[in-house]
Amino acid sequence: MRRICSHSPAETEAIGERLAGALQGNEVLALYGGMGMGKTAFVRGLARGLGVRGEVSSPTFALVHEYQGRVPLYHFDMYRVGSWDDLYSTGFFDYLDCGAVLVIEWSENIEAALPDGVIRITLEKGDGEQERTLTIEGMEADETFGN
Amino acid sequence: MKLLAIDSSATAASAALLEDGVLRGEFFINTKLTHSQTLMPMVDALLKNTCIPIKDIDLFAVAAGPGSFTGVRIGVAAVKGMAMAQGKPCVSVSTLEAMAYTACCFDGLVCAVMDARCNQVYNALFQVEKGRMIRLTPDRALSIAELAKELSGYQQPIFLVGDGADLCYNHYTGPIPGIRLVPAHVRFQHASGVGAAAYILAKEGKTLSPAQLMPVYLRLPQAERELKKKKEGKQ
Repeated sequence: MRRICSHSPAETEAIGERLAGALQGNEVLALYGGMGMGKTAFVRGLARGLGVRGEVSSPTFALVHEYQGRVPLYHFDMYRVGSWDDLYSTGFFDYLDCGAVLVIEWSENIEAALPDGVIRITLEKGDGEQERTLTIEGMEADETFGN
Repeated sequence: MKLLAIDSSATAASAALLEDGVLRGEFFINTKLTHSQTLMPMVDALLKNTCIPIKDIDLFAVAAGPGSFTGVRIGVAAVKGMAMAQGKPCVSVSTLEAMAYTACCFDGLVCAVMDARCNQVYNALFQVEKGRMIRLTPDRALSIAELAKELSGYQQPIFLVGDGADLCYNHYTGPIPGIRLVPAHVRFQHASGVGAAAYILAKEGKTLSPAQLMPVYLRLPQAERELKKKKEGKQ
């Protein structure tokens, strides 16, 4: 487990960008944290780190946004998912094991459906207004930030 | 009677053209390319290579479920669109029935199983007798343990097909002596199996208008289980 402190949205993005360097495809990143904790900022950085061009926004209504980087990136928002039937109808299970990176906001809502080997990233308020603490579990210590 | 059949219910996609029950052509692709990229080019190539224009197709058939949420929808939408444009009827084929048609050759019980996660399967049972296939159960979702209880009542060879077949086979060998795993090249759903099933359904008058054709999703027993993370610290 690794804890990192971020002092701004830009820093959160940078953390996501560095983490992307360690990803090869088929990883599932489950993000936890309430509104305003920086989940989408993290994904913005992650996408940039994977070579995705273009705007990254929260897929609260679409449920999933697809991006093409050096591997495909599927960005889910489970805020509106309340049941197994809801989850099935997002096509979530069709995206597992297809060589893409999945990053999921509001993973609290689909805890029981997360696959083995999931990487959990919790974003919480830190000491200052803009400060956040990111806790990363499920990645090897030396893997966490690529080369 | 010319029939165009499609299957995109799982990771593979296929299209087949049958004429009076005879397979005239079939395409099958099982790569990481998505169905929305592969399906229509396959249909197009199939029609061109068999020199059969789409206006000569009398019937459009599709594996309408169970299966992957998006895969089933893509197949159903493609067939709905083509049939509607041509003003022709459709046949809705169960994915489980389609795979049974691909595999059935020996007398015995065909047990079609698709992995539905958490040790559950989508399943149907068929009796094969002198070349005829008789459906014994409706398509249903159940645990592999419950299925085992049912199968232990049968005293004949039981042929497992579908992507859930090896999962079930590993659980059932030993407790169920008649259990057999069908070889990989005939174990999965293909458009030709959809076509074979559709041909028989059409002869029985079981066709639909394009507007009536819908995806068929089976609800899982686990849908009752808690999905959300518990609020108070819990494993």
